Amino acid sequence: MKTVIKTTNLEKVYNSSVAPVKAVNQVNLEFKEGEFTAIVGPSGSGKTTFLNLIGGLDKPTRGNVIIDDTDISSMKESQLFDFRLKHIGFVFQAYNLIPVLTAVENVSFVMLLQNRPKEEMEKRAKEMLEQVGLSDKINVRPNKLSGGQQQRVAVARALASKPDFVLADEPTANLDTESAFNLLDIMSKLNKEENITLIFSTHDQRVIDRARRVITLVDGAVSKDEYFDK
Amino acid sequence: MKLTIKLAWRNLWRNKKRTLVTISSVLFAVLLAILFFSMEQGSYDRMIDTMVRYSTGYIQIQDVYYEDEPSIDNTLLFGEEIHTLLDKHQDAISHYVPRLQYFSLIASENTTRGGMVTGIEPEREVKFNDLREDMVAGDFLEKGDGGVLMAEGLSDIMNLGVGDTLVLLGQGFHGTTAAGKYPVKGIIDLKIPELNNNVIYMSLEAAQWFFGAENRLTALIIMPENPGQTQQLANLFTGELDSQWYNVLTWEELLEDLLTLMKFDIAGTMVLMMILYLVIAFGLFGTILMMMLERQKEFGLLFSLGMKRSLLARVCMLESLFISAIGVIAGIVLAIPVVTWFTYNPIPLTGDMAGAIEDFGFEPVLPFSSDPSVFYSQGLLVMALSVLIGLFPVYKVYRLKITDVKH
Repeated sequence: MKTVIKTTNLEKVYNSSVAPVKAVNQVNLEFKEGEFTAIVGPSGSGKTTFLNLIGGLDKPTRGNVIIDDTDISSMKESQLFDFRLKHIGFVFQAYNLIPVLTAVENVSFVMLLQNRPKEEMEKRAKEMLEQVGLSDKINVRPNKLSGGQQQRVAVARALASKPDFVLADEPTANLDTESAFNLLDIMSKLNKEENITLIFSTHDQRVIDRARRVITLVDGAVSKDEYFDK
Repeated sequence: MKLTIKLAWRNLWRNKKRTLVTISSVLFAVLLAILFFSMEQGSYDRMIDTMVRYSTGYIQIQDVYYEDEPSIDNTLLFGEEIHTLLDKHQDAISHYVPRLQYFSLIASENTTRGGMVTGIEPEREVKFNDLREDMVAGDFLEKGDGGVLMAEGLSDIMNLGVGDTLVLLGQGFHGTTAAGKYPVKGIIDLKIPELNNNVIYMSLEAAQWFFGAENRLTALIIMPENPGQTQQLANLFTGELDSQWYNVLTWEELLEDLLTLMKFDIAGTMVLMMILYLVIAFGLFGTILMMMLERQKEFGLLFSLGMKRSLLARVCMLESLFISAIGVIAGIVLAIPVVTWFTYNPIPLTGDMAGAIEDFGFEPVLPFSSDPSVFYSQGLLVMALSVLIGLFPVYKVYRLKITDVKH
């Protein structure tokens, strides 16, 4: 299987006034196409920082992030904006949707930034909303959707532009059990059907149980990297 | 572009009340400013119009030395060169008014005082300022008339009335003695005290004879067919007349002192307006600042998704421009009927204020101007202000760190 992401000796050091903090410490990992990975670990273990680094939202202090043979760690900010737009999908814990846009506009948003043709964009957005079970909420704004529905729209948006991989930072943290399972079902299904690499940071056992690979971070370093047959 | 407009427009209405309050503040500021400027501009326009119509005209041709030394010796010859010029440009000239004006002693049986003798062509003069309307006693002058018109104030001082005789004594052209005895044919109310206590009108021919200045004028006043073309016409005249002898002046040059005074006055008004706009600017800035701060996490999301800073900066700038544009347009739309009404129905003044204004020869009203510049100048000013305020979120957008605002 093709390697989508590779990190080598990845480090992120925050300079606190007391002492430097290594949020990510010498992480060497590879993520293959189509993997469903959960990054787990206690609070402050560096999960979010790690996702920020591989998502091009933050720059490493040392080491490299190579995505599709491109080293993004040395890219300029403007190049990173373009790179994220073309290659990465994001789902966050909260503040996931643009409140002034309807569900279909939110799903189309990334494609719009990519300057995709309007018809293709609309077709794909509607298709994705149908896949996440929200075809009846196309023209509804986020404030009229439940938390679970909002996350489903966010997933639809992350996948609509067919990115190389999707990073989800604790996507189920604010959801009730039913909504969380519903979201995970959809993500698992899309992972299989669209062969999209999914990487979650999570505390949530429900997510961990679905993952085929679980990486445990402790103090910014990888303490366990396990594969499961599911 | 469509996306930025859509986002900016919808963002504006996330907090409808706040946006409406901000728009209203812009609206009322623009409305107030327009009314204020319209009133001020209207008064100035009326003042200039009165001065131009009753005193200077739009263009004057004078002797080359007259402006620096207004003496009877520095009068211009109303000869062939001038007549040729007037004939050549007759289509561009509505009418012209020749005048010969100089100081003289005015004496009655018991009183003598200085005054200004003004020789006019009666038929041309009435076209210019309808002097006949201001007659309070006797008859108006006719061409080549041998009598004089006295300003009402002067006639009171000299204790002279219609049918009485006065004696003029002064210096004529090139040091000759100017002396004559003239019957008072009429009394005229010149409104402006300075003129009303000093002026005597006589026919141009009589004045030229009195001063020994045959065919000479202190000024030839020219009213263009189209006042908007004043400067172009003046430039043509300057080019065609011998600059060794003639000086062509426009009303702006002739009323330079008045215009300077007005500019000072306008500057004072501008300071007041600036204070008003400063208050508005703070209101607008407050709204923009709040819109910025409450959306920090959203900005983080947009950056994460790949929205470029330039695009988001454009959205923020548009939000500021939209608020101002709506306020400005609404302010102008509201101002148009009000200003139009007052342009045609000026506010009448009463009491002492009316009296004071009448003393200066002006109608006792507060005139308004509906010149387009009154409207767009305020609109442009507010828009410029909003661009300035809009630069703040732009600056902040370029300074935001994604990792600081993502969660």
